[in-house]
Amino acid sequence: MTLVKKKFLLSFTPSIVNEPITYKMVKEFDLMVNILRAEVSERGGRLLIEVDGKPSQVSKGVGFLKSAGVEVKELNEYVNRDEDRCTHCGACLSICPADAFEIDGMSWKVSFKAAKCIACGLCIDTCPPRAMKLRIW
Amino acid sequence: MRTYEEINEKIKRGDVVVMTAEEVIKVVESQGLESATKEVDVVTTGTFGAMCSSGAFLNFGHSEPPIKMQKVWLNDVPAYTGLAAVDAYIGATELKENGDLDYGGAHVIEELIAGKPVHLRATAYGTDCYPRRSIDTYISLKTINQAYLFNPRNAYQNYAVATNSSDTTLFTYMGKLLPNYGNATYSSSGQLSPLLKDPCCRTIGIGSRIFIGGAKGFVAWEGTQYNTAVPTRNGVPTRAARTLAVIGDMKEMSTEFVRALYFHRYGVSLAVGIGVPIPILDSEVMKYASLSDKELFAPVLDYSLQSRSRNPLKEVSYAELRSGFIELYGKKVKTSSLSSYYKARIIAEKLKTMIEEGEFLLTRPVHGLPSERAFKPLDIRSKEEV
Repeated sequence: MTLVKKKFLLSFTPSIVNEPITYKMVKEFDLMVNILRAEVSERGGRLLIEVDGKPSQVSKGVGFLKSAGVEVKELNEYVNRDEDRCTHCGACLSICPADAFEIDGMSWKVSFKAAKCIACGLCIDTCPPRAMKLRIW
Repeated sequence: MRTYEEINEKIKRGDVVVMTAEEVIKVVESQGLESATKEVDVVTTGTFGAMCSSGAFLNFGHSEPPIKMQKVWLNDVPAYTGLAAVDAYIGATELKENGDLDYGGAHVIEELIAGKPVHLRATAYGTDCYPRRSIDTYISLKTINQAYLFNPRNAYQNYAVATNSSDTTLFTYMGKLLPNYGNATYSSSGQLSPLLKDPCCRTIGIGSRIFIGGAKGFVAWEGTQYNTAVPTRNGVPTRAARTLAVIGDMKEMSTEFVRALYFHRYGVSLAVGIGVPIPILDSEVMKYASLSDKELFAPVLDYSLQSRSRNPLKEVSYAELRSGFIELYGKKVKTSSLSSYYKARIIAEKLKTMIEEGEFLLTRPVHGLPSERAFKPLDIRSKEEV
């Protein structure tokens, strides 16, 4: 069976911030979880994770999170690019840890592969024409 | 073997042969230098990168009653008006007052070129002939008289490759430099770069007609920090060397080729697109115009050393830089260009089309640029030592 890789933004209310909910999900549903961003504030906690596993297990895991009181939002786009502002210089290329930017050796255009993006935000302040925007936080 | 006049005759007749500095590399490789020199009349170059030493002269016209402006702000960015009553110069790197540090003169220039309204405020002390003490209004490129970029230093012949040996991230005019040689940034279009393709400025001089920001402009003077005392490889400087002061009408420009930039925790700059045509007067001009990224080199400098005299760690070719990695101390270091090769190529191609279609004639420089010029440092001196 093929595995899927999905990204979710989890929001925890202050009352459940201290519970090891994500751990339980990993253990029970045999999922590989990569934490991309995490933040705790007076409003609760937010966790951006990438989940790797069998499709059925991923959806079961998500169901488990929801039943535990976690708000779950699947993310397809976290960082986006203003195509009009991008000058295709390539300043982002050496900064992105996920290699989400690729330069075409023929056209010398820089493309942004949203699927590879791990929403670290390092490209945001790297971009001189300010073409990159972070959507989630 | 070929004169400016002959080239211009061919342009007018419509049978001029123009190639971009990239295209001509292959032609020289396959046909040889002499044959390519015979065939090609003009080689076009292009660059699009951060050029901090840029700005615009503006004349606002006279108000009723008139004002002799003493202080001027455009979208809250101060402009210099220590000139006649309603003339001002807005520098690209000047920052907005009491606001975010990521908005400055470059943004005002970009917005003017985009045709947007710009908020003008001015104050004055009032004179008998200029009684008005203040003005608060909006201008656009349509409402004002002259508006031209006059950039004291653009199109650097070559430039450093920046890296960072320290253990903290540096925010520089060469972009974000990651710790422990985490990346390296460079800013030149290499084999398309105007002054790298005519390294001794044999054909580029005062009065040369050029492409600037989408308009037809001119080389006005030697650029500031013009420097000929640099090492060379293949006859081409391997350090920041010659520069151009350029001028062009903003009313003919496009934001496609003039773009405001912000370097995080450094400041504002302006990306300017410049293209220079090189007339192939003889095979020597062609030899340089057809050098490729493999034959053009830049010095790698450690920007964690906060000194004006940094020795290069090594020299790397633009071919290596463009491959995405360079090697430093046995480590593969990712590279980023800060100037857009994509745009540089568009500029070289656009200039080629303009020449082929008879819209752009070449000019013989009215005066050459200096063949020797040293780059002096600023030291703390007494009056007697000066």
